[in-house]
Amino acid sequence: RMRKFKNKGKDAAALRMQRVEMSVMLRKAKKDEQILKRRNVSLPVKDENVPPGQNGTHEIIQLSLEEIVEGINGNNPKLQLLATQATRKMLSRQKDPPITQIIQLGIIPRMVEFLGRAGNAALQFEAAWVLTNVASGTSEHARAVVDGGAIPALISLLSSPHMHISEQAVWALGNLAGDGPLYRDVLINHDVIPPLLALVSPVTPVGFLRNITWTLSNLCRNKNPYPPLDAVHKILPVLICLIQHEDKEIITDCCWALCYLTDSSNDRIQIVVDMGVLPRLVELLASMNVMVMTPALRATGNVVTGTDQQTQAAIDAGVLAVLPRLLRHSRPGIQKEAAWMLSNIAAGSSQQIQQLITCGLLPPLVELLDKGDFKAQKEGVWVVANITTGGTVDQVVELVRSGVLKPLLNLLSAKDSKTILIILDTISNLFLAAEKLGQTEKLCLLLEELNGVEKIEDLQNHENNIVYRAALNIIEKYFSGE
Amino acid sequence: MELSDANLQTLTEYLKKTLDPDPAIRRPAEKFLESVEGSQNYPLLLLTLLEKSQENVIKVCASVTFKNYIKRNWRIVGILVEDEPNKICESDRIAIKANIVPLMLSSPEQIQKQLSDAISIIGREDFPQKWPDLLTEMVNRFQSGDFHVINGVLRTAHSLFKRYRHEFKSNELWTEIKLVLDAFALPLTNLFKATIELCSTHANDASALKVLFSSLILIAKLFYSLNFQDLPEFFEDNMETWMTNFHSLLTLDNKLLQTDDEEEAGLLELLKSQICDNAALYAQKYDEEFQPYLPRFVTAIWNLLVTTGQEVKYDLLVSNAIQFLASVCERPHYKHLFEDQNTLTSICEKVIVPNMEFRAADEEAFEDNSEEYIRRDLEGSDIDTRRRAACDLVRGLCKFFEGPVTGIFSGYVNSMLQEYAKNPSVNWKHKDAAIYLVTSLASKAQTQKHGITQANELVNLTEFFVNHIQPDLKSATVNEFPVLKADGIKYIMIFRNQVPKEQLLVSIPLLINHLQAESIVVHTYAAHALERLFTMRGTNNTTLITAAEMAPFVEVLLTNLFKALTLPGSSENEYIMKAIMRSFSLLQESIIPYIPSVITQLTQKLLAVSKNPSKPHFNHYMFESICLSIRITCKANPEAVGSFEEALFLVFTEILQNDVQEFIPYVFQVMSLLLEMHKNEIPSSYMALFPHLLQPVLWERTGNIPPLVRLLQAYLERGASTIASAAADKIPGLLGVFQKLIASKANDHQGFYLLNSIIEHMPPESVDQYRKQIFILLFQRLQNSKTTKFIKSFLVFINLYCIRYGALALQEIFDSIQPKMFGMVLEKIIIPEIQKVSGQVEKKICAVGITKILTECPPMMDTEYTKLWIPLLQALIGLFELPEDDTIPDEEHFIDIEDTPGYQTAFSQLAFAGKKEHDPVGQMVNNPRIHLAQSLHKLSTACPGRVLSMLSTSLNAEALQYLQGYLQAASVSLL
Repeated sequence: RMRKFKNKGKDAAALRMQRVEMSVMLRKAKKDEQILKRRNVSLPVKDENVPPGQNGTHEIIQLSLEEIVEGINGNNPKLQLLATQATRKMLSRQKDPPITQIIQLGIIPRMVEFLGRAGNAALQFEAAWVLTNVASGTSEHARAVVDGGAIPALISLLSSPHMHISEQAVWALGNLAGDGPLYRDVLINHDVIPPLLALVSPVTPVGFLRNITWTLSNLCRNKNPYPPLDAVHKILPVLICLIQHEDKEIITDCCWALCYLTDSSNDRIQIVVDMGVLPRLVELLASMNVMVMTPALRATGNVVTGTDQQTQAAIDAGVLAVLPRLLRHSRPGIQKEAAWMLSNIAAGSSQQIQQLITCGLLPPLVELLDKGDFKAQKEGVWVVANITTGGTVDQVVELVRSGVLKPLLNLLSAKDSKTILIILDTISNLFLAAEKLGQTEKLCLLLEELNGVEKIEDLQNHENNIVYRAALNIIEKYFSGE
Repeated sequence: MELSDANLQTLTEYLKKTLDPDPAIRRPAEKFLESVEGSQNYPLLLLTLLEKSQENVIKVCASVTFKNYIKRNWRIVGILVEDEPNKICESDRIAIKANIVPLMLSSPEQIQKQLSDAISIIGREDFPQKWPDLLTEMVNRFQSGDFHVINGVLRTAHSLFKRYRHEFKSNELWTEIKLVLDAFALPLTNLFKATIELCSTHANDASALKVLFSSLILIAKLFYSLNFQDLPEFFEDNMETWMTNFHSLLTLDNKLLQTDDEEEAGLLELLKSQICDNAALYAQKYDEEFQPYLPRFVTAIWNLLVTTGQEVKYDLLVSNAIQFLASVCERPHYKHLFEDQNTLTSICEKVIVPNMEFRAADEEAFEDNSEEYIRRDLEGSDIDTRRRAACDLVRGLCKFFEGPVTGIFSGYVNSMLQEYAKNPSVNWKHKDAAIYLVTSLASKAQTQKHGITQANELVNLTEFFVNHIQPDLKSATVNEFPVLKADGIKYIMIFRNQVPKEQLLVSIPLLINHLQAESIVVHTYAAHALERLFTMRGTNNTTLITAAEMAPFVEVLLTNLFKALTLPGSSENEYIMKAIMRSFSLLQESIIPYIPSVITQLTQKLLAVSKNPSKPHFNHYMFESICLSIRITCKANPEAVGSFEEALFLVFTEILQNDVQEFIPYVFQVMSLLLEMHKNEIPSSYMALFPHLLQPVLWERTGNIPPLVRLLQAYLERGASTIASAAADKIPGLLGVFQKLIASKANDHQGFYLLNSIIEHMPPESVDQYRKQIFILLFQRLQNSKTTKFIKSFLVFINLYCIRYGALALQEIFDSIQPKMFGMVLEKIIIPEIQKVSGQVEKKICAVGITKILTECPPMMDTEYTKLWIPLLQALIGLFELPEDDTIPDEEHFIDIEDTPGYQTAFSQLAFAGKKEHDPVGQMVNNPRIHLAQSLHKLSTACPGRVLSMLSTSLNAEALQYLQGYLQAASVSLL
């Protein structure tokens, strides 16, 4: 118990609120999240892989389901190809692809078999495409693909001499990896990573690289459990290279991958920090592209939920310099994530709080509390709360001087009990600091002048018992005049 | 109880008696019902009665009784089961849940409401897990087409779901909401659409419309609850449906729904108010998604405001509508909707100013319902008033348009004042509006002083005060223009920190003068303003206004304050009583000459109100004033305590004899104060009362416990030896009280207060024979239910015991209960838990006690207890140096620990009867760290080498470092 002598009184870990993603969500899934699965709907511009001698490249004959089953199960390679193509076409139409029906035809094992027809590249390609689109459906659909034995076959196609085939295999595997931790780990156990990484080279076309990056990011995705550590160790160095690419989509998917890897325990965050990628992430935060910025911000935000040292690494990478612009960003989502990140920095050591102040973060914080979107304001309230909990008396004084009180007190009328409670706690913290300075009266006066007392008094009628008591406590302690 | 006709008959009779105005009949009936409510079938009998009784009054009475019964008993209080057993058996619970919904739906409205409340109380505990079919049962009724039934369902749903509006988000809560949304959102939406369609098909049928609109109101309320925590996916997808319909309902009017009543809001108003709330919720929280709909709502609500009348029935609607505009206008991306100068002017003229005017209804309230008026105006409980909303709108507008808005209002203030000047007696309302604007809108922030950048200078506050406020208050006729007088006094209260002190001093005689005004509002405000001024702080934390500055006014102030209590309508005016208390506190010894008359008036008042205590605040301040009189007088002249006893004991006796429950705790506190004033032996009058204080019946009321313990402590402090010699036979009774208190988780700390006083003050030989039994009782409690609060008090007690009787005595008494017990207590309780002790005096007691165990207890050095010596020392250093361990095990969070335990009685309901901080080791030990160093030094001199070798082999390095610091500070070293 003597170890407590060091960190007198304060447990930093308790202050820091990691994004405990509520496991229950009422909202729509977030619109700015990365796509889990993708269906290949666009026809390739040039279908040059179809062996010559067939009726033109773009003409695909429509077949009935019976004809498809017949063709696929038959022994005629030509008909097999035609039927597979027809299937692929059905699954590639924009609306309502008949995935379930196709599965019910029982042709998935046959598709897997076609993947092994090394001599028939066209058939391999079409079958891979069919499986890609089947896997893009629900988990049920993905299971049909896996149960059909597709995983080893797709993995061996990664080394196909035909680039378009290995690319299609990458895509199909990406969909399976995106389905959830179960298939992700099945893939990893089938050693998908080495052949996948081998595809990354300076001459790999951008489009192909995009697919690979996306699939890699899905291999990093999902918790419960997290991806195995050695897989992470293998993938990370390649991601670090790819994130230097100039293609926005590649960068974006790299950032998403880093997001997933850092949304985790501190030792996993450390693995990412050790790669030295933070400066690049901060550089990307400064880019004006929202698509890139969103995951970069989330990844950096995850890092600062870590230890004080990890937070410091982000500060050293210059994150404080880019935050003001993010706090003032027109997108509510960006404002919110930036404020969330700031709240975690404010939960750090008092030196880190000092850096936050020195780097001029208080004025944009006050602005955000005053005029920001409500989601962002809520996070902003946490920033203030954390500074008043972990900051020195001088820092708290600096905070009050920045004019934070007025917008903070305004938010006492927010329609969110938790936010109100945090503000009341913050006010109590301010009083503790004021007591140390012998300025309790002055703070009382200030709160009164900003119509704060009126608001706190109103909260004595709040329905939430804890809020009511916190308000009552402040009024009784500082404003009852007894 | 069986479900028999005989029992139904009995119950009917008792229910009827509970309605009897005569308490002699009513009370026994209530007692009887309470005594049988634990029996099986009792709730089912009530349900049968409320359904089948022949008499309507019995039906209603049964439904109310049922609801209250559910409220008291449904919840099974986890760990407090020992105090409150589960009164409703499982089969009754199941039967209630199976029957209550259909029963509620088929009952007439009056009973339906009670049952609906009961369902929501049950739902709070059992829904969703233990009542899985409730939702489907409810939703199915939507299909019934019977709107009486549908409204019953909606009302119940509303009382079940409204807690979503204020609870903290949690996975548990959101899981429930998700479940509700899945089952409820779509049927609700369909019902909403269907109801609106029915409204247009029945547009000419007044009675149908009323039912349908009641449904719509409930639906709109449910929308608010279901959307409060976060924007649910379903409602985001269906925003178009909801918002389009809400919007058209806002603009709807139908003559059939208009009411003639001026006061009561009609259905149309209620619905529109709720829609404004819903829109405001979306605008505040889901701005991103709601943006496309917002401008339409602004226009609709704006039109609504301009076309709605001044009648009281529109108040809620208007204030909600204004609040909506207020929350929107401060959003940067909606700025453009307001920024046009014409728009601003028209908002100020057509929305703000009309809603700030003093209306006929206000005037009526000012004269006839002053209490309500004061409550709204003074205590800010005017959250929903038009005036308040209008002020919020101005503040919102000032965020972006401060210059123009200030300009418009300054002009308005000036023109109103000019109007008034032309003809005061006719135009006084104009001045009222002007003052109201200034008091609500002028910035109270002092720019230079706090560095806040605020420029909203509507007027110069001091100039306005001198030119427009003081003249009204200086006028010779205190009863002229009472509203303006009240405005003026309120101005002083509000700007007391901004107006210079010399102006405040000028105002004091004016305020004292207005204590004589006939208007209740005016003299109440005058008293309140004085009270507020007297609490202001100046430099050095003294009061801003000093007793010396008040010297010329003492007599007239006291006279007028007490006279004000005789004015019609103010005989129990809490503001006046509070002002009396505050004046005493400020004036201190200058009130002494007036005490005889003051105390006579206070005791007369006390006697009068004790007949029927109805104003708790008034009563509280009255007792505070009595305490202050005693303190102030006896401080100067301790002998005077006798005259207070003479004046008060007669009334006190009457209060005790008549069992005036509200006052008894106060009486005990005043008696404690009086008793403590005695410097010598305890007077015989108190000793005569002593046995009565030990009567169990007194201790049954929880409110009595803290002041009674405090009083017994005073007895022990002043008269321990008298008790030991003259009332030794009462000692078992005293310990009986201790035993009762210690058995309860809520009151155990009070028991320890008492025990500590006994240990500290009673002569040891007088309690010798009980000591072992005391320890055994404590151990029993420790075994039965060990709570953190108990442990903390226990630790303080054993250390106090150690200080009083010696460490050896402590060890011996433990080991006499059971061999090696002392070691177990050290190892399992003292060492691991000492860090939890809170309070300076408490920590000091523990430090000194442990030091004694370490250094004055031979068995610690030469038995198997020696192995605990270093851990104990380490724990003691931890107590000195580590932060307090304030963690509480999860399962204890529900224990009611409003009274944090400490050595002192924390209960101090009367601030001015408060006890001085008492430090039983103060004399002996000043600095416990130095004391430890010195004691260790003494020990090491007695057995050289042993202490040092123990320290160097096993004390933690950091702890050792601290210890060396203590030794250095004490300038001793160990041998």
